[in-house]
Amino acid sequence: MKKKLFLFDLDSTITKKEILPEIAGQVQMSQQMKELTERAMRGEIPFLQSFSERVDLLKEIPVPTVRSIISQIPLNEELVEFIKENRENCYVVTGNLDVWICDLMESIGLKDHYYCSKGRTDETGEWLLGIDEIIDKGRTIRSFPHPFVAVGDGNNDAEMIGLADVGIGFGGVRPIATALLNNATHAVYTEEKLCQLLRQL
Amino acid sequence: MSASKTIVISCAGMGTRLGMGYPKALVDVAGKPLLVRQLELLKDYDDVRVVIGYQYEKVIEMVNAVRRDVTFVFNHEYKTTGTGASFLKGTAYGRDMVVALDGDLLVHPEDLKRVLESEEECIGGTTPTTDNPVLMSTEMTPEGLVVTEFSRDKGEYEWTGLAQVKTSRLGTTQGHVYYLLEPLLPLKMEKIRTKEIDTMEDYRNAVAWVRNGYRD
Ligand SMILES: [Mg+2]
Repeated sequence: MKKKLFLFDLDSTITKKEILPEIAGQVQMSQQMKELTERAMRGEIPFLQSFSERVDLLKEIPVPTVRSIISQIPLNEELVEFIKENRENCYVVTGNLDVWICDLMESIGLKDHYYCSKGRTDETGEWLLGIDEIIDKGRTIRSFPHPFVAVGDGNNDAEMIGLADVGIGFGGVRPIATALLNNATHAVYTEEKLCQLLRQL
Repeated sequence: MSASKTIVISCAGMGTRLGMGYPKALVDVAGKPLLVRQLELLKDYDDVRVVIGYQYEKVIEMVNAVRRDVTFVFNHEYKTTGTGASFLKGTAYGRDMVVALDGDLLVHPEDLKRVLESEEECIGGTTPTTDNPVLMSTEMTPEGLVVTEFSRDKGEYEWTGLAQVKTSRLGTTQGHVYYLLEPLLPLKMEKIRTKEIDTMEDYRNAVAWVRNGYRD
């Protein structure tokens, strides 16, 4: 049988926390971040706009600081183990910025195995100047050969889950978005169950 | 090892004549929902899959309240596909042996335990009681009682929805779960005690049965 590919969301799927709010919390910007996130969740501002605004908020923080905050975020370690064991077939698909998450991706064995939004920094790499490109997850996912498995938790993973041959909602960190469940083939609520299912596929 | 099997509980279909407005597996029987009673009997099994469709949020919520290590499998097409489709979705990527169980089947705990602890393929049959039963003809063989045929009009026992079979032997027939079992006959029959809950009277009888320690 043809080897399946595995696509993973990053926030609250691989990480045990949402990354942008965590960064904001470290620099006392939680309140502004929360407002932006909630407005997006209520559908008051489109996801793309909310993402840009949230990134803008975090521009004040040097890029190396952001990376080091991200490196402290706890991960679902059993899932990371699965990814490391199957790194050839695993990919992360996330809206987050390359310049922020590159170290994390390397540390879980997925250097060059992730698709994300692109940030632009100054020559020193110290400061984020802006976003060059926000990932079009749908287009990215359509470029993957079938069969593939996708795992995620949020509204913005619903399309990926729906296109997957096996689309798994993971509720081990946060409740799974309804739009995602409506597109999923499976749902699991513990990391152990997720890894058991992934190994059975 | 009996724990090394996949258990598939089908809860995707609509509630029925009870007119409760929620999946029948969630009906409270003597203080606990049917599905919760089943999950309690399955606590030693580590590959339990609950197939969901109709009002799946309610099923997930109830299961998660008692047990989080369950794999939910969606049958979003529950309105147009039969129980067989739900069962097959549940068995996909499963272990060598798979147990089919209906989420709305109230079964005697001892009888379910006996099937689960057995390593043999078998079908659960009961004394016919429902209005429109799927019947099973049986035959006594040196190995014991075996089911030889499913039928709407003849047979000594009623099909219960409980079966244990090898995953690799299952075909892809559409329709009811027993259509999938037909090509595998003859299969050993296990007599099990169950209560079907279709009417309010059934419901009262089932509650009384459980309250009385699963005795009539
Ligand atoms: Mg996420």
